[in-house]
Amino acid sequence: MKRRGMSVIAAVAVVASAFASTAGAGSTTAAKTQAVSCKGTLKIGFTAPFTGGAGFLGNEQLSWAKYAVKTLAPKYGLKIRLITGDTPVEQGPAIAQTIAQKFIADKTVVAVLGPSTSGNVAASSDAFFAAGLAHISPSATRTSLTKGATRAATPAFFRVVPGDYIQGPSDANFMIKKGAKNVVLFDFQEPYSEGLSDAAQIVLKAKGVTTTRLSVANTVTDFSSFVTKVPSSADFVFFPTQKPGDAQNIAQQLLEQGKKAKVFGGDGSNDASQFKVPGSFVSNFAPDISGFAYNKAVIAGWKKDNPGEALGSFGPPAYLSVQVALNAIKKACDVGKGSIKDRRDVVRNVKKIVVKNSILGGDFRFSTKSNDPLNAKFYIFEIQSNGSYKLVG
Amino acid sequence: MDTFIQLTLNGLTLGSVYALIALGYSLVYGILKLLNFAHGDVFMVGTFIGFGAIQLLGGTVNPIVPVWALLVLITLAAMAGCACLGVVIERFAYRPLRDAPRIAPLISALGVSFFIAYSMQLLFGAEPKNYDTFSLNGGALYTDGFDIGNVRVPMIRIITIVSAFVMMFFLWLLVTRTRVGKAMRATSHDREAAAMMGIDIDKVIVFAFVLGSALAGAAGVLFALRIPTFATIGFLIGLKGFTAAVIGGIGSIPGAMAGGLVLGFAESYAQGYISTRWSDLLVFVLLILFLVFRPQGIFGKADIRKV
Repeated sequence: MKRRGMSVIAAVAVVASAFASTAGAGSTTAAKTQAVSCKGTLKIGFTAPFTGGAGFLGNEQLSWAKYAVKTLAPKYGLKIRLITGDTPVEQGPAIAQTIAQKFIADKTVVAVLGPSTSGNVAASSDAFFAAGLAHISPSATRTSLTKGATRAATPAFFRVVPGDYIQGPSDANFMIKKGAKNVVLFDFQEPYSEGLSDAAQIVLKAKGVTTTRLSVANTVTDFSSFVTKVPSSADFVFFPTQKPGDAQNIAQQLLEQGKKAKVFGGDGSNDASQFKVPGSFVSNFAPDISGFAYNKAVIAGWKKDNPGEALGSFGPPAYLSVQVALNAIKKACDVGKGSIKDRRDVVRNVKKIVVKNSILGGDFRFSTKSNDPLNAKFYIFEIQSNGSYKLVG
Repeated sequence: MDTFIQLTLNGLTLGSVYALIALGYSLVYGILKLLNFAHGDVFMVGTFIGFGAIQLLGGTVNPIVPVWALLVLITLAAMAGCACLGVVIERFAYRPLRDAPRIAPLISALGVSFFIAYSMQLLFGAEPKNYDTFSLNGGALYTDGFDIGNVRVPMIRIITIVSAFVMMFFLWLLVTRTRVGKAMRATSHDREAAAMMGIDIDKVIVFAFVLGSALAGAAGVLFALRIPTFATIGFLIGLKGFTAAVIGGIGSIPGAMAGGLVLGFAESYAQGYISTRWSDLLVFVLLILFLVFRPQGIFGKADIRKV
């Protein structure tokens, strides 16, 4: 009886998996073969954290992406609708997979912006690749997404910002330039901060800087005892968190315990409304775009649409991502003579895109060796006594 | 030595907050024999009420009242709000199940916990709320204080620790020196006998919820003075408060106080001397060790059943 029961369960499982695989293949095939007219409304999916500890990042990106779609799509003769999927960092990568399936199932989605975080790129890139969807991230910086023997992202993934292979060494070199002799590096037991701390630590050690590595579970809310372990002689605490509130918290706790070390946050803590202890540093993949004269009209237009909002560093790369996506969609439409026959046509064209006078400064193009931007760099900001961020490196 | 003093101070700060939370677990368990797993979420609501009260009082950069008044007012607001929430939880989630099998209110407690956490997230978003006490008096709460050797004891920690101990002292007075305290002890000892002696059991139970929830609200504010809060923070902190109650002896008021401090010190020393990576693991190993080798906790009495 028991054996018969097991046989029935096994048979059901085999049938179910056969159905599941057929359904999956069907949807992928549909994605490949159903042509979409470029005269109708095409969709671009945007997956980013709009709520949660990193919600500030996604909302800033969304405001720029909306502005880019509104102002640029008509120039390419395209009707584009932006659809969004929220991926709070606190919910882990599972939610990114669910949203990826939603975008894939909609045949009018011809490109995706994001995922904005590296973990979510790693979680959903395979699905996007199988469905032939280009996904262009404005902020995922993990090195292993595009480099190394075991790449976490697929050839359908592109990013318009440089990876941590540039950020980690840039941050380390800046600390050395500032005279650092002793640096404490934190990681939060997740790939973003571990990778970034690793990259910075290699450079610091090579230049003879004393380093101490502390590892913190990302559920920890009180850093007091970790701060206690920071030597009084430490010059910097390298703190690559994705939650700017945590960077503020550790900076306060260093002051509370009379430690002189300055906090150096990565791009994930670049938020002037949350991280504002004077003398601290953050790095970011985008400079202050107001420094480029040709951006004047774009900035004015965005400010008109977003009154009262401050110019941040996460938004402009989203604008550039939309620009790249629209260019590639337009080229795919031209190849298909007014329709996109296969979403892969968009993927094929992304790599060829060149943006003259890009919003991030200079001409933008992808590297021939990887799907990373060519000649990109990281910028370093110091927090001023009024809480503003000043470009210092 | 400086490291030891600093870790002790860290443990004392954290432990005094855990103790306040553990008291809520113990008060309710002592009277109802119910593990109120929604208690951590009441704590979270306290942190949010404190945050809202700060905004109403003009924020921390330019508050409309003096700093001391701001701190007192936000604590009182959180205590009052959480006390009301405690009454509502008792009335609608536990009282209807008072005579049901013990698993029913336990499941109800878990349901209430998730309901509160995700309702708050829906209403106020998942973004962390930072009290920004660093902006009060230009950061004076962090830089002012006194020194023990080379270790700074900043004002913000003094406020947290002293407030928690004052509240614990008043709770102890209330339970041991007042009529209502005597009624609570009688109900805890034997609910039916207490009812026969003329004690209004419903009122005593509601009072226990009011008291426990108000303490959770105060703990929430004291915690969030230094650390950003968010809608789902109550689960882990509540679990630690529960662990503290078990270590001290669940149902025992001095036990909850001692358990909170033991847990705070254990967490702090584990992070400082053993491993920053495994501190939570070590804390919960402590819970398992107590459950296996001394289930009645430090101050609890073994439950002897006659056959």
